[in-house]
Amino acid sequence: MAKDKLRHQTTKNDDTSIDLKGTFISVMLLGIFILVLWFGIYALFLSR
Amino acid sequence: MHLHKYEKIWLVFGLGSLALFLLIIGFAAFWKGTHPQSHIETIDPQNVEAHESFKPENLGLREVADGKYIVNIVASAFNYDIGSDDAGKPVKTIRVPKGSTVLFQVTTKDVVHGFQVAGTNVNMMVEPGHISRLETVMKNAGEFTVVCNEYCGIGHHQMFATVEVYDE
Repeated sequence: MAKDKLRHQTTKNDDTSIDLKGTFISVMLLGIFILVLWFGIYALFLSR
Repeated sequence: MHLHKYEKIWLVFGLGSLALFLLIIGFAAFWKGTHPQSHIETIDPQNVEAHESFKPENLGLREVADGKYIVNIVASAFNYDIGSDDAGKPVKTIRVPKGSTVLFQVTTKDVVHGFQVAGTNVNMMVEPGHISRLETVMKNAGEFTVVCNEYCGIGHHQMFATVEVYDE
């Protein structure tokens, strides 16, 4: 009985149930920002 | 190990950008020959005149081939010595036609100086004991100010010259 309860708790803590949508969007925004910045500076280098 | 679906995506994105930027560095270094500007030749900073390029009569702009120029400059606190004109006055402006290839060769007699032609890709450190070289194509016409961007002492801000790129 106690064992069953424990197992139930571990399943509940499984990371698939965590909502990471906000984290995902912010990570991607940061990544895109870095890439855009990098290619912008590279374009500046090529044009000068 | 179990990873969240989103976690997998941003890990691939992060590792992918890392690989991309490493490839670009490798390409620039090994294919394009990008390197620090002062790694090739050393010089005695107390006797820069002994070097062929930095003899007083060899300073300044020289056309070596059609559309190819060499500029020899000795930096010191707080001046860029670009030679002198026929009247014996120090040269402060270098004039080259648009599209010309210019090799800047700069050394210093005393401390570390900077050599930046603001608005172009010419930007290098000038260290005592080294000759800094940078070859560039002057793609855009205009007047560009040469500035020292390494703090070299009390007169640091007075250290400047001009590069004028004119339309032919």
